[in-house]
Amino acid sequence: MHEYAVVDELIASLLPRLETIPGEVSAVFVRKGELRILSDRALENAFDLLSRGTRLGSARLVIENVVAVVGCAACSYQGASKYYGDEGGHSAIPVLACPRCGAVVSVVCGRELYVDRVAIKDDAPPWGGVQ
Amino acid sequence: MHDVRFKGEDILGRQLELAEANYKKLREHGIRSVSVLGAIGSGKTTLIERAIVRLRSEGLRVGTIAADSAGDDDHRRFLAKGACSVNVNTQDDCHLDAHTVDHALDDLPLSELDVLFVENVGNLICPADFPLGTEREIVVISVTEGDDMVRKHPKIFAQTDLVVVNKVDLAAAVGVDPQRLVADYAAINPHGKIVLTEAKGGRGVDEVLALLGFPCTNTQW
Repeated sequence: MHEYAVVDELIASLLPRLETIPGEVSAVFVRKGELRILSDRALENAFDLLSRGTRLGSARLVIENVVAVVGCAACSYQGASKYYGDEGGHSAIPVLACPRCGAVVSVVCGRELYVDRVAIKDDAPPWGGVQ
Repeated sequence: MHDVRFKGEDILGRQLELAEANYKKLREHGIRSVSVLGAIGSGKTTLIERAIVRLRSEGLRVGTIAADSAGDDDHRRFLAKGACSVNVNTQDDCHLDAHTVDHALDDLPLSELDVLFVENVGNLICPADFPLGTEREIVVISVTEGDDMVRKHPKIFAQTDLVVVNKVDLAAAVGVDPQRLVADYAAINPHGKIVLTEAKGGRGVDEVLALLGFPCTNTQW
């Protein structure tokens, strides 16, 4: 359950960045590369628990998965990787070999894990207008 | 409702920075370092014990960081083989992290070491997201866990370029064909290297060490 350690880091690094941003945080959007070994459900559960009592207490965690892109130095291919297993399905795993020539590839994206944005509820205007 | 965007700084950025600092520290001391990951009971400790003996017979000074959730059994085994060792108890944590390794490095006489092995907690999932700052990484599994281990943990094998399948002497007894593990790994990671070992008897250990960049020449060990 290393997701708790990850979410702990997420909250610790995000709270200081929110200090200058007023308003209630309603959602935290995280981009997660498909090569990361992290369970979405475990991340969400950890966030629910660890955000309690902080400014993120009423926010929900939204995971946006990023598909792997690989680059090949041998044949200059750049694009989607080959997949192992249930191709196109939930459990398919990117294979780090060039789909065109078979050489070793580098990962262009697919390993990222970052907070992309937060959604802030706007405060009610002082005259009580409709939001 | 409005969105506030951030620059894409990695959530584990602090860990990555610490891992980078560990890497630099080890390089500055001229230490070659290897993380050893793997399943519980796969033979990580036995493999490192063998490596300690082998590398010491080649005149290299070996250090170890022994991580377990509790106890110091592995640490004692490494000391008994002549390594300079530090014991780390991760308690309820299922993996080592770069911060813990940094503290462990403070307790090692780095100027007196040539090689460092970092044995992670037995676990095939969690350690993968926490780089420690070592130069190389190997994953150890054994035939007694079944011939479907690679298929069950494809992500970690897709990203590991050196895998050890240990206890091959027990393959027939547990009805496992090690070649299935080899074939699955080749499908998931066509460029990775896989070595079949019987670490207890020393078989295959030289091949692993050679792939890690330690070609052994001394035949008496």
